[in-house]
Amino acid sequence: MVPLEHVLVLASLLFLVGAACVVARRNLLMIIIGVEVMLNAAGLALVGGSLYWRNLDGQALVVFILAVAAAEVSVGLALVVLAHRRRRSLNPDDFKMLGGSR
Amino acid sequence: MTFASLIFYLLGLVVLIATLLAVTARNLMHAVVHLVISFVGTAMLFYLLGASLLAALEVIVYAGAIMVLFVFIVMTLAMPVSGGEGWRYPLQWLPAGVLCLVLLVAFTALLAAGPSVAQPMSLASASPLDLGVYVFQRYWLAVEVVSFLLFAALAGALYLGRKSRTERQGEGR
Amino acid sequence: MKGLVLIMLLAPLAGAALNALAGSRLGRNGVRASACAAVLIALAAAAGALILSHGRIQDFTLWSWIKVGSFQAAMDVHYDSLAGLMAMMVTFVGSVIHLYSASFMREDQGLVRYYVYLNLFTFFMLVVTLADNLAFLYLGWEGMGFCSYALIGFWYGDNEKASAGRKAFLYTRIGDIAFGVVLALCFVWFDDLTITGINAQAAGLSHGAALALGLLLFWAAAGKSAQLPLSVWLPDAMAGPSPVSALIHAATMVTAGVYLLMRLFPVLQASPEVMWLLAAVGALTALWAALAALAQRDIKRVLAYSTLSQVGYMFLAVGASDIVAGMFHLLSHAFFKSLLFLAAGCVIQALDEEHDIFRMGGLQRKMPQVGMLFFIGALCLSAFPLLGGFFSKDRILLAAFLEPGLSYKLFWAAGFLAALLTPLYTFRAYFVAFGPRKAGSEVKPSRGTPRFMTAVLWPLALLALMDGLLNLPMGPGKHWLARFFSNVPGARIELPASGGMELAMALVSAVGVLAALGLAVWLYRGRAAESAEKGWRQALAQALYLDRLQLSLLVRPYRAVSNFLWREVDDGGLDLGFTTLAQGLGIVSRGWAAWSGGRLTVYLFSVLLALAAVVVLLTFAWFA
Repeated sequence: MVPLEHVLVLASLLFLVGAACVVARRNLLMIIIGVEVMLNAAGLALVGGSLYWRNLDGQALVVFILAVAAAEVSVGLALVVLAHRRRRSLNPDDFKMLGGSR
Repeated sequence: MTFASLIFYLLGLVVLIATLLAVTARNLMHAVVHLVISFVGTAMLFYLLGASLLAALEVIVYAGAIMVLFVFIVMTLAMPVSGGEGWRYPLQWLPAGVLCLVLLVAFTALLAAGPSVAQPMSLASASPLDLGVYVFQRYWLAVEVVSFLLFAALAGALYLGRKSRTERQGEGR
Repeated sequence: MKGLVLIMLLAPLAGAALNALAGSRLGRNGVRASACAAVLIALAAAAGALILSHGRIQDFTLWSWIKVGSFQAAMDVHYDSLAGLMAMMVTFVGSVIHLYSASFMREDQGLVRYYVYLNLFTFFMLVVTLADNLAFLYLGWEGMGFCSYALIGFWYGDNEKASAGRKAFLYTRIGDIAFGVVLALCFVWFDDLTITGINAQAAGLSHGAALALGLLLFWAAAGKSAQLPLSVWLPDAMAGPSPVSALIHAATMVTAGVYLLMRLFPVLQASPEVMWLLAAVGALTALWAALAALAQRDIKRVLAYSTLSQVGYMFLAVGASDIVAGMFHLLSHAFFKSLLFLAAGCVIQALDEEHDIFRMGGLQRKMPQVGMLFFIGALCLSAFPLLGGFFSKDRILLAAFLEPGLSYKLFWAAGFLAALLTPLYTFRAYFVAFGPRKAGSEVKPSRGTPRFMTAVLWPLALLALMDGLLNLPMGPGKHWLARFFSNVPGARIELPASGGMELAMALVSAVGVLAALGLAVWLYRGRAAESAEKGWRQALAQALYLDRLQLSLLVRPYRAVSNFLWREVDDGGLDLGFTTLAQGLGIVSRGWAAWSGGRLTVYLFSVLLALAAVVVLLTFAWFA
């Protein structure tokens, strides 16, 4: 099989793709998708580590990550729907009513 | 290059490409579908790395529930297909791209300079039973807490997503 | 004695202070009375001091003014014969001028201001006359400069007149810089700023030191006395009222330079080069100014150039090591030149501010007293034989001739030539302004001249005529002045010339003067107009273009540099730099403000940025 480093490199690649998606896309739904990608990448890294050290802790953590991701997505999407109802827009730059002196 | 490692690299490529397509998709629906492919690939990777229960859970929960939720939301919101986003000009991508590149270089450098663990891992597999017992034995408290979390999320999502009074009145008529 | 000197100094100062503070309350009569009284008191005190001093030197301190470490600038007084006589002259001529001004300025709006400055000027001049400590002298020196600026530009509403005041101040200031350096050098070399102390140590000066001090003293004196090359302010300074011209440009300020040289004569004597320079500049200025006076149309400018010429003679005297002659001529000049200026003032006022002599004419008949006074002054200025100016100028020329070296003979020649020109230009002015004209083309004075104004001038005329008696070269009471100055370092009683040579020179001068007088009568009597100013006449009228030369050589480049510094360096460089900095700060801060504008995308990017920063740091730490 592959060395742990390769697994980690793949995981970091996926993680960075997700990070780029979060930062660069101007759509609330795409931001949440980016977050999901990042969580997924983290899970991959954990499973790789678990195999390397022959320890089930890594896999157990991934279980919980899945659960938390599910909870977070449901609440997040509900919020997106609510925001969309108010503003008719999914662009995060339109939601700066609370921000700054301007 | 063993058979398993070949599978690994292939799957890795698939996942990477699917994620990239998802992230750069103009059409939200396309993005979701690409992401589903990515998650299924990831599930296969999990299996390869010896986490069979996790592979199943990944498909059921992630690809099956979360992504379906996304599809529902995309359909409900009735936004124009591109999500109302004017985009693809360099100023939007460039800062993120540069930073991610920098991070990639850093990560790779760190990994390459680690203690010499560049030998391949040997295959192993944890059966679902083993994992289940492990989780419920060692992390039973976390399991309970996560169930509370899920319940809270359920209640929250229900409340946040309810129709406003005017909408409900309109519907009842 | 000390008391008398104090009264002499403080009376004019008190008069100035009184009029400055309460002048408007005293009323015009009160102001005039108090100012004139102040100067008359000073005159009495000066006379008393002169009598009481019995020809002995008196040194005393009025007030220990500044004392820092070994630097002492006390208000010391060194009262020797030179100072005593100079003080008498200053207060006497000052009194006449104060009294004359009471009538001359009778209708002027700024009467109070005028008398304040006039009194103040008298005070400062007396400080210069009596001071022993150079710092105290510098106080008077600078004070005189300021008062002259205020008085020359008295009618400051007219821009030209105000500029004339500024010009005078700036030019004398250029000389004053040298005086400041002298102060510093004296402190460093002698540790003593008193004239007595410096004169005592003068003999031991090294050649270079004496040269340096001498040159600086020359420059300072040249500024105040308007000698070449710092002459151009004096003709323009005629913008002030005529009594001011009489006081400042006949008797006091222009003579202050020469006076300083005479006080510090031992220092000058220590350097033959400086003596040569003094004689050269004096002779050159005398000749140049006499030539320029020949072509002037403004009566006061004729007198101004004449002053330049006569002060040139005084410089020549000092350069020829004969300070008795210099002081003698100083006294004569004070009397006849101020007489001339004041008479001219009468004329100008009577003709409603007309200065051009070719627009006057036949005034001897219309204003007989003034004409007579002017005539007396003109005779003395021309060194008419046996009158005041004759003996003093003659002695100067003799002293120059007797000095060793060919150059001194040249200086004598220049002086002699100027002495021939003097009657020419003086009587040109007299005949054109006062002389008879064709009937019908005479000018009628539009205002009468108050009798008081002419009455105060007669004592002055008398003194001018009799002034020669002070130092006759032969006969009873001969060399009285020279012997009176015996306690002044460097004064020579007699010149080393045989009686025959003296007589010969006197005869030559007399003949020359009379001949020039005759020429003047022939050329100018009855002349009503002069050909237009072009060619050599224009060159002379512009005083050989010295003013324009200095303007283009000095003033224009200076203005160009200062414009450059203003526009490019200050506005362009500094201001622009600061403005750009401020704008840059604005841009930076606006950019910075965009960071916390409540935009989600910016926050997300910030998180990623922070993550990248931390990871990169850790990577470097790992690999370092």
